[in-house]
Order: sequence, then C-alpha cells, then structure tokens
Amino acid sequence: MENFKILNIKQSVFENNDRDADKLREELKGKGVYLLNLMSSPGAGKTTTLTKTINALKDDFRIGVMEADIDSDVDARTISQTGARVIQLHTGGMCHLDADMTRQGLYGLSTDELDLIFLENVGNLVCPAEFDTGATKNAMILSVPEGDDKPLKYPLMFTICDALLINKIDAAPFFNFDFEACAARAKKLNPNIKIFPVSAKTGEGMEAFYAWLRGEVSQYRAAIGK
Amino acid sequence: MHELGVVLEVVKTVEKIYEERHLSKIDTLVLQIGELSSMIPKYVEACYPAAVDGTVLENTHLVIEVLPGNGFCTSCKKVFNVLQNKGKCPCCGTNKFDLLGGREFFIKEIVAC
Repeated sequence: MENFKILNIKQSVFENNDRDADKLREELKGKGVYLLNLMSSPGAGKTTTLTKTINALKDDFRIGVMEADIDSDVDARTISQTGARVIQLHTGGMCHLDADMTRQGLYGLSTDELDLIFLENVGNLVCPAEFDTGATKNAMILSVPEGDDKPLKYPLMFTICDALLINKIDAAPFFNFDFEACAARAKKLNPNIKIFPVSAKTGEGMEAFYAWLRGEVSQYRAAIGK
Repeated sequence: MHELGVVLEVVKTVEKIYEERHLSKIDTLVLQIGELSSMIPKYVEACYPAAVDGTVLENTHLVIEVLPGNGFCTSCKKVFNVLQNKGKCPCCGTNKFDLLGGREFFIKEIVAC
C-alpha cells in the first residue's frame, strides 16, 4: 500500500494564466506596444471591423495583427491586404487563447517597430472571457442579429471588456434589437464599459471608435514615456 | 463544451505542483467548482480521462465538490442561494445583493505520495 497523503492546494485554476498575463502586460509596456484583444461570436464582424480600423489608423500608428482561429488562414489573408503585419495563429482545436499562446504569437509576429497590435481572438463568447491574454485592453463586438439579450447570457464577457461595439446597425430595421436595453444590461455588469453602435460595413459610427482607440494608444504611450 | 480547454489548464497546474513537491504518484484530484461558474461538473468528468491521457493524472480519481452560489442581501442582510431564488432575496424580494461565492474553480486537494 502506497503512502498517500492529502496535499492542500486551494489554487484557482486560472491563477497561473492570470499571473502570466500580468507579466506579459508589463513586457508589452516595456516595449511600448498596445495590445487590444478583440472578441466576439463567430460572424459578428471582427475581421471587417479590423480591416476598416487599420485603414483608418495606419497613418497614426504602426499596426500588427494576430489572427487566432482553430483552422484556416482566410482572415489573415483578408487583413494582409491592408498592409498591416499579420500572423495567423492556430489554436489546435482550443476555443481560446491564453497568455502563453499570445506571447508565442507576439514572438512570431515580432513587436519590433509596432505601436498597436490587434489580437483577433477565437470567435466565442465563453472561454476567451475566462483566459486573460495579457492584452492592454479588451474589446468585444456584439452584432445586431445576435440579439440584445447577450449581456444576460454571457455576463463574464461583458464584465471584462473595456469597449463594446454593437455592429451591423445598418441591419437594425430587420431585427428587434433594443439598443437601450442592451446598453443598460451591459452597464449593469460593467459601469465603465464604452459602447459604440457601429456599422463596420457602411462606416457609420466608426469614427467614435477610432477616436477612442487613438486616445487609448496615445495615453498609454505618453504614460510610459514613448 | 469548453470544459476540455479548462481541464487542460488544470493538468498544467497539477504538473507544476507535481514537480515542485517532488511527488511520485497521484491517486485523486479534488476540484471545487462554483455553481455560478461556467463549468459544468458533468462535462468536466466526461472529458477528464481524455484530458489527462499520458500525463501524471492518467488513471487517477476525480472528485468534484460543488460550491453554492450565495448572495448577501444588501437591504435585509440575509444570505440566500442565488440560483434557487432566481437572483431575488426570498425575504424582501430585492435583487440587490453582494455575491459571496459561486464563481470559483479551484484545485482543492491532491491525494498523492
């Protein structure tokens, strides 16, 4: 009979990743790179939003993109047409990225001569919310066809995001999407969340998001003396 | 079913503990899962054998303790179960409460030698 004993661990499963993510955030600060983690369900418009945003901001900042997907490189091909430096990450079946995978992606992309990097996370509103990637800030896209009840169904995602883009507002006449109810639900979970109703396709409302992001990156760089 | 990715994170953490504490054999892993966390015990159990295959946790027992999602009513100061009472204090009916627990996902103990 082996001499088994009980070891008291009492450790959160996310603790290792949380610590690693904090470390990565510091490393990025040292390099003067702002990393925005962009999350949404599949099909909410992450790639279209990114393409438009890169085209609008490419004269202000040197931009890189990490595209995370379970498979394929269609998003990376689309984004590369903007001229931004891009790398495709495959999560190998995993539904999210953690801080270590993000660090490896940054290494592959190289942060040299970049000011702003977008991480297009795997399309999913559950797991990416649990795993801190080490990004400077988190943003999410909720598209009108998905419905205004999503903050009720996926509260953690809305809690951890700094910015919420409500996309596809050009399709609003065809759906019963209550903007005020959606905003109230998101604010109840996260009073500081910034909400941007946009149409990435038509460009409507996008200026407000660009202005927020410009301000974010400029403040971040000023604070670390870059 | 996103439990697999998270259970793989458990495996990573346990492997680290295994090294640090110079363990030679693990018998049982005890997890604590809050009933308001996004983890479903049934699915954690279902994917456990696959997640631990070829690791130090292969052929070990998994025990899951479910922790209650309790709220503390800010007006009448009563503690109540958030799920059973659908987020409303059963005494005064308000939905303003401080969450005392229920979102945990902990490795509680490892039975090992």
